[in-house]
Amino acid sequence: MRERPLGSELLEIARSVLREKLLKNLPTELHYDALMIANAMAIAARQLEFGEKPEQEEMASLLALLNETKQADNLRAELLRLNRLLVNKVRSGEFDNGAAAKAHLWAAAVQKCKESAPKALG
Amino acid sequence: MSVSKESSALNDAAQQQAIAEFIRQRCEADAVSITAMRRLSGGAIQENWSLDVSLAGGELNGAQEWVLRADAISAVSDSHSRPQEFALLKAVFDAGVTVPEPILLGDKSVFGRDFFIMKRVKGLAAGFKIVRDPTLGGDKEKLAERIGEEMAKIHTVLPPRVELAFLPEPNARPALSFIQASRAYLDKHHTPFPALEWGLRWLEINAPETPQLVLTHRDFRTGNYMVDESGLTAVLDWEFAAWSDPLDDIGWFCAKCWRFGQNAKEAGGISSREALYRGYERISGKKIDPASIFYWEVFAHMRWAMIAIRQGERQVSGTELSLELALTAHVVPELELEILRMTGAAPN
Repeated sequence: MRERPLGSELLEIARSVLREKLLKNLPTELHYDALMIANAMAIAARQLEFGEKPEQEEMASLLALLNETKQADNLRAELLRLNRLLVNKVRSGEFDNGAAAKAHLWAAAVQKCKESAPKALG
Repeated sequence: MSVSKESSALNDAAQQQAIAEFIRQRCEADAVSITAMRRLSGGAIQENWSLDVSLAGGELNGAQEWVLRADAISAVSDSHSRPQEFALLKAVFDAGVTVPEPILLGDKSVFGRDFFIMKRVKGLAAGFKIVRDPTLGGDKEKLAERIGEEMAKIHTVLPPRVELAFLPEPNARPALSFIQASRAYLDKHHTPFPALEWGLRWLEINAPETPQLVLTHRDFRTGNYMVDESGLTAVLDWEFAAWSDPLDDIGWFCAKCWRFGQNAKEAGGISSREALYRGYERISGKKIDPASIFYWEVFAHMRWAMIAIRQGERQVSGTELSLELALTAHVVPELELEILRMTGAAPN
């Protein structure tokens, strides 16, 4: 079994040391770099927290939206294939007024924001 | 012992002497001395040096406060060259836009790199500070009006201009050509972006006519202009300037992604839109249709998303680690959300 604290927990702890202890002792010109490091750690921690589940949910949603069946076990490869199919349909105008397409796109963007930019979710 | 031109810093004695002699010849002065020379913060593409010069004789006799802008030693860039940037600054300066006055265009014979000299302007450009600090920029509504006026003046420069022939060919439907280029880029990219494709489709369906192509700044936003405590001191960063729809600039300035968190202040995070429009309309003599700006704000979010993807890619494929570039890719999700929201794809 994987050792604890888990990666996401280590990142959280390390990030708080950076923010609460190191930042105030760094020269001002290095603050921007330090804050970027803190941000990168937060994104990494959130991605680790969420794990594979959101991408599996995305795949299920894509299969339903596109009326497709799963062709391979490799999650990444399937997501690429299905997202490219989705892109073609969006581009062709087939989904211009599609409620299901909108719902899928929105949910996928929300999940990405949860990991990369949670403040955007208000 | 001679020192290689390319490897020494510009404020080394030999380089300074070459620069002083160049200035002397061009300004037809009897004598020139560089009294101070200090590196200013810059990017990887350029070097900016603050230059205090004393000229004896010639038209520019006296003490001058200038900035020397040169290519960085290892510059590889697809933004404008120094001669091109000089030509742009001259064109907009002559149109009455508040930019540092371009003084002298140099060449590689002086110290091995392209450069130009412009007047030094005081001020602060940091967007995050400007939107939050009431002491910066004077009255912010007046500042927005002034910015509107500046924008309208930029838009008085019309194609064709011989000295601006290096700008990309004007395209009658600038929005459509952007959409085409974006799709071509995304097709070759390792990751698909369906939400951005949705936005491109919306932009395609709703693409307006552009009655007159004009010179546009294409990165005129908070963060790219300087202010002091009383108002605007300079419009900066002309790297992306091109012929486009004038509303392109207005949409970019007002886009939510460029308000530095002050979302209620719809003009660049500093004031109401009405103030910006007022200044613009005063100089241009044309009324702005608020509905048409909305299109260009969606466009702005899309353009920024495409830039962010490209910048993230430079990190992935580059030889140097850049956390800033890597994190820039992570602004895309927020842009996707906003694009979906603006184009009717948000849940009710």
